[in-house]
This record gives sequence, C-alpha cells and structure tokens, in this order.
Amino acid sequence: MNKDELLNALENSIIMGHLDADDEGYDGTMEGTPGTLEYTEQALEEGVEPQKILELFGRAMEEVGKLFETDEYNLPDMLASAECVGEAMDILEPKLQAGSSSQKGKFLIATVKGDLHDIGKNIVATMIKGAGYQVKDLGIDVPAGDILQSIRDFKPDFVGLSALLTTTMIEMEQVVKMIKDEGFSDIKVFIGGAPTSKKFATKIGADYYCRDVMDAIHILEKLREAS
Amino acid sequence: MIIPDAQQLKLLAPSEMRLIHAGALRLLSQVGVKVSHEGIAEKLVSRGAQQKGNRIFINKNMVDSALAETAKTIQFDAPDPAYGFTLNTSENQVKFGTGGQALYIVHPDGNGWSKRPAVSDDLKKILSLCDQLKNVDFVTRPVECDVPEDQMDVEKAKIFREYCSKPMNVANLVKVEYLDKVLEIIGNPAHVSFVISLVSSPLVLDTAAGEKFVALLEKDLPVAISCCPQGGSTAPFSEVGELLQLHAELMFGFVLANVIRPGAKVLYRGIPITSNLYTDGSPRWCQPDCIRRVAIAAQLCRFYNLPCCGTAGVSDEAEPSAQGLSEKVLSWTYEMASGAQYINSALGMLEQVMSVSYYQYVIDDIALGIVKDNFKADQSGEISKIAKTATLEALSHFGVAADEKVEAEIDARIRHIENALEPYDEEYIDKQLAVIEKAVNQSGGSTVFMKSARKGLREGYIYRGNRIDAPLNLTAVNKRLENIDGLTKF
Repeated sequence: MNKDELLNALENSIIMGHLDADDEGYDGTMEGTPGTLEYTEQALEEGVEPQKILELFGRAMEEVGKLFETDEYNLPDMLASAECVGEAMDILEPKLQAGSSSQKGKFLIATVKGDLHDIGKNIVATMIKGAGYQVKDLGIDVPAGDILQSIRDFKPDFVGLSALLTTTMIEMEQVVKMIKDEGFSDIKVFIGGAPTSKKFATKIGADYYCRDVMDAIHILEKLREAS
Repeated sequence: MIIPDAQQLKLLAPSEMRLIHAGALRLLSQVGVKVSHEGIAEKLVSRGAQQKGNRIFINKNMVDSALAETAKTIQFDAPDPAYGFTLNTSENQVKFGTGGQALYIVHPDGNGWSKRPAVSDDLKKILSLCDQLKNVDFVTRPVECDVPEDQMDVEKAKIFREYCSKPMNVANLVKVEYLDKVLEIIGNPAHVSFVISLVSSPLVLDTAAGEKFVALLEKDLPVAISCCPQGGSTAPFSEVGELLQLHAELMFGFVLANVIRPGAKVLYRGIPITSNLYTDGSPRWCQPDCIRRVAIAAQLCRFYNLPCCGTAGVSDEAEPSAQGLSEKVLSWTYEMASGAQYINSALGMLEQVMSVSYYQYVIDDIALGIVKDNFKADQSGEISKIAKTATLEALSHFGVAADEKVEAEIDARIRHIENALEPYDEEYIDKQLAVIEKAVNQSGGSTVFMKSARKGLREGYIYRGNRIDAPLNLTAVNKRLENIDGLTKF
C-alpha cells in the first residue's frame, strides 16, 4: 500500500466508523481488519506529516456530517466516526506542533449535580472531540465547585452543561451564575438536555441552548468563523 | 377487568424466558451492581452477596429466595372503599392508572395546541378529573407541585388527600425525612403506594433512591421497582440484550427488597424502551419495538410469579393526535394481553413523559373503554385482531376514517410487535452479555451501546413506518370537560 492508498484507507476507516481491528465497524463485518488507529500509526511510521493527517480527519468528519444530514447515516454511525477521530487524536497529538490540536478551542462538559444521565453529554463530548476541539469530560453528578475548579485548571473556551431532570435545571442555573460571578465572562456557556429550552437558557444567563449535538457543532463553527 | 387465559399472549416461549433469567443471573453474579451506599452493601453482604470494591455480586440462591418471598398479593385501598382492589399474582386482573412526572400541560389555544409549565393547580384539577373518569382505577402523580423542593412532598400529599378518592400512588418522595408527615396527611397508609427507580442503567444502584426504598419498605408500603433502560444508550440496542440487563436490574431490586423486609410488597415495573438512533437518541416510548419489549417484560414478570406493574400509553406525540391515539391503543392492548396487572402512566401522557393534557385524559378514557370492549367481545383469542379492530374503532370514534393506507400501517406495526427479529439462544445471549460488561466497565458506557447498535439499526430493530395523520374530532371531549369547572381554561 503506498502513502496515497494508506491515506485513502485511513479516511475510509473513519467514514466507516471502524476504530480498530477489534471493532466490528459499520456493518458488523470489519472485525479483524485494520481500522483508524492502526492506519494512523502506520501513516506516522511511514512519515506522513501529522498536519496532513489532521486535515484528513477534518475532511472525513465533514463527509460523515453530510451523510448524517442526508439520512444515509444514523446517529451511531456518526458517533463511531467521531470516536475514531477522538481516539486517533490521542496518537496524533504528541506529534503535532505545540498548540495545534486545540486550535479550535477547549470544551469542558459535565452533567450537573443531582443528575445521573450521561447519554446526551457523551454524544456531545464524543462529537465535539471528533470535530477537533479539545474536550474535558467531567462526567455526571458534578458539583458546581468541581466545575469551577476545572475551569480554573483547564481554561476552557466553552462550557457545556447537561441536565435531564427538572430538579437539576435549578442546579444548572446556579452553576451558570457561579461561572459568571467568578468573572469567567469570556467563556461561552452551552446548555442542553430534554427539559431545557432557549427561553430557559436566556433566563439563567447561558449563552447558547443546543437542541441536539449538531446544533452544538453548528454554533461552535459559527463562533469560530466569526472570530 | 380479567383477561382470560385464552387472551394471554406469549411473545416468548418458557425456554426463552428461562434463558433470559439465566443470563440475568450471570450478570448479577459475574458483573455485579455498583453499590455506593455502605449500609445497603452491608445488608446485601450479610445475606450472602459478595463484594469487590464498590460492586456487589448476587448469587442465584438470593434471587430464588427473593422470588419465593416477595408478597404475592398486594392490597390497594382507597379513600372511597369502592375503588380499592387486590392485586394477586395468580390472577389476570388488570387495572389502569395515570402516571408520569410531566413538566408541561398541553391545551388548545385557538390555533392548535400550546404548552405551559405544570403547576400545583394542575395537580388538583387532574386528580378531580380522574375521579370522574371510569377507566382510571388508581392515580399516580401526574405532575409535581410548583413549590420549593422541601415543601414538595407535604404539598403533594395535601392535594392527594383533598382531591383523590381512588388508590393513590404519589410516585416519589423528594425528601425521605418527610415520609411520616406524608403518611399522616394521607391519613391511612393503606391508601398510598410509591414508585422507585432503584437502578441507573447499566447496573448502578441510585444511592438516593436506595435510601428511599429502605424507608418505604421498612414501613411495609407497596413500591413498584421501576427500571427504564433505553436500548441503544443505557442498555444494549438488541431486544435480547436489553431484556437481560433489565431483568438483572429488577432482580437486584427484588433481592434488596426482601433483604430489607422478607415478603416485601414490591412490583416489577420493566420499561425497556429504545433510543431513536435514526436522529438524536431521544427515547421512544410507544413505538412497536418498545411496545413489544415492554410487553415481554410483563410476560417475564408473570412467568416468575411476581406482581406486575405495567406501563402503556405513553405517547411519543407532543399533542393529542390520530398518531398518538393509534400508538396508545396498540400499547394498551399488548400490555393487557401480556399479563400486566397494574398499568401505570396509561392515561393523559404525551411527548414521552414530558407533557399531559386534560383533553388527552378524556380521549384516553374513551379509547381505553373501546379496547376493553374489544377484549370482552373477542372470542378468537387473536390479539392481533383485537389490536387492529380496537385501533380502527378508536380512530373512527374521533372522526378518523380508516383507508387502506391506515390499515396497512396498523398491520405493519402489529407484525413488528408480534415477531422476533433476533435469536433467543445461548450464543447470542453470550454476545449481549459481553456488550453489557464492556459498557459497565468503560466510562461513557452509552457510547458502547450506541456503537454496537449499528448492525441492528440496519436490520430494522426499531420500527420505521408511516404516521397516521388526520384531525381528531374532539367535540365529545370538549363537552365532557366543559362539565368540570376550569378544565377548558388554559
């Protein structure tokens, strides 16, 4: 396989959401064949420029986004592709020039205290990482104090808060207030989850309400274009 | 209403149910349940469970004891004694109630339907309305009160006491320390029961729910152990895999219940729904795949001779509609035919569990009556026939004429409900157990379930049919609501 063939195989493995040889891939038949992680390592070993691989990741995810928006792909397909890129970034990142991987920005995400739901948060975290953002996922049931401490340590550009219960919407409001009161006014706060709404986001002072993961990604891309 | 044996549907064979039970036992003994509550972990260990770190492993003997010890009859009394009833595991009696913890009230606004946040006054009005609806046998809290959290339990109890004359299920306790006060306000503990979501899927005891569970059982109160995994996000997308996990989580609940109080009055409430993986992962409550899975859960419960709390009629539609009505009728029919005895959330619910509507309560009361009449009139024992006839009659009652397209769609949904798409064999069960174990042991378990859903999604595990769209004629509903003060005002 020459370099071009190798890069084509890498791009294809991302589009097919084929993580590695242990993964069954898009249609359940790919186990035992090399996937994104093996091809990424091989490409680096063969001297492909890390920046070129990074650009390939972006192209592949763009294609996956199109396939999702035209209903050819379902949510798990898109998620699998994003996971491929997210995990391959862990291989690529040390080879990139300092700062390159977080060019798009840092995103801190958590499900607020009192809420044990992680479905939406995990989808958003995986997809945003796959879209090229540096993501720190604090998990579920996270106290406001821990979120604030992580903001100080990680210095994110964006904070995403998720809640699925009415009771935890109140906690979300308190977290947003604390972020603003602590003077982190440059950080854009995204909220999401079934009981939340645009009106609620406005009420509690969050910057953006995200209906779903694609909404979150579109908002991030718009913000990036604007800056 | 009694559903005769001839109308009891068997979606799984006894050998298939035994395989699910055996697989669930393997999960409990080999993967275990994460228990962070020290007191509960100690109780389980003292009765024979093993502990490694924060995981508790339950053996077969503990499950066998729980199955044998669990109360087989539960009495639900009511402020008006005429409404009291007994649930007996050996009988096919079915009772229906309201449910949910809806956030919104959906109401006509002149141009269609609008929704607004639910408030305490809605709880009063819904309880008053349900007192007058013939097919509401018991009342589970439909909406919460708009009072501060530390006043919620007391306020809710006061409203139930004043406005409800049927068996009361106040569902949850916000603060366990208010239990005595709640019981004092209700006046008679025999009038009240609860619902607890004990385990967060996959296989994690919810510590706060565990506290409440202990407190309720210590007072010998009836509790439905509720488990609502979402296939494709908090459980395997596969029906077989989701049922394995669901049954294990519920068996854990039954073991714990009988450790706390041998002979506990607990009900099996299995709600294995699916995630809409075609779009955003949102839950699907009333689609054919979910109706089938929830019906099998009821069947599993009855096979193991446990009191069965069903769930049916939680439409995925945001407002009263022909589509929602068709979902509800199929859901009630299959849950009744699968042996569910105490069917929660059956009336009034819209938009999964997010909304309720006064109008929908009345629509559901009428439509449920149609379903019951079809069960009574049927002599064939063919549930597919009852389901189709009842759906067409309910639609027709609200002015929706059935054409060939509507009939074909109902037939397609019924086929999906009644036919298995996956094998129930040991090899396939092993594969599903491995997926659950991987998700349990990996952070972000939901992505494991989602990724492993790709093949099943392409093979049609979740139903993707056509909608039934037509305006409903609600003249009769309006008339009934106009007779009750304040219910037609938004």
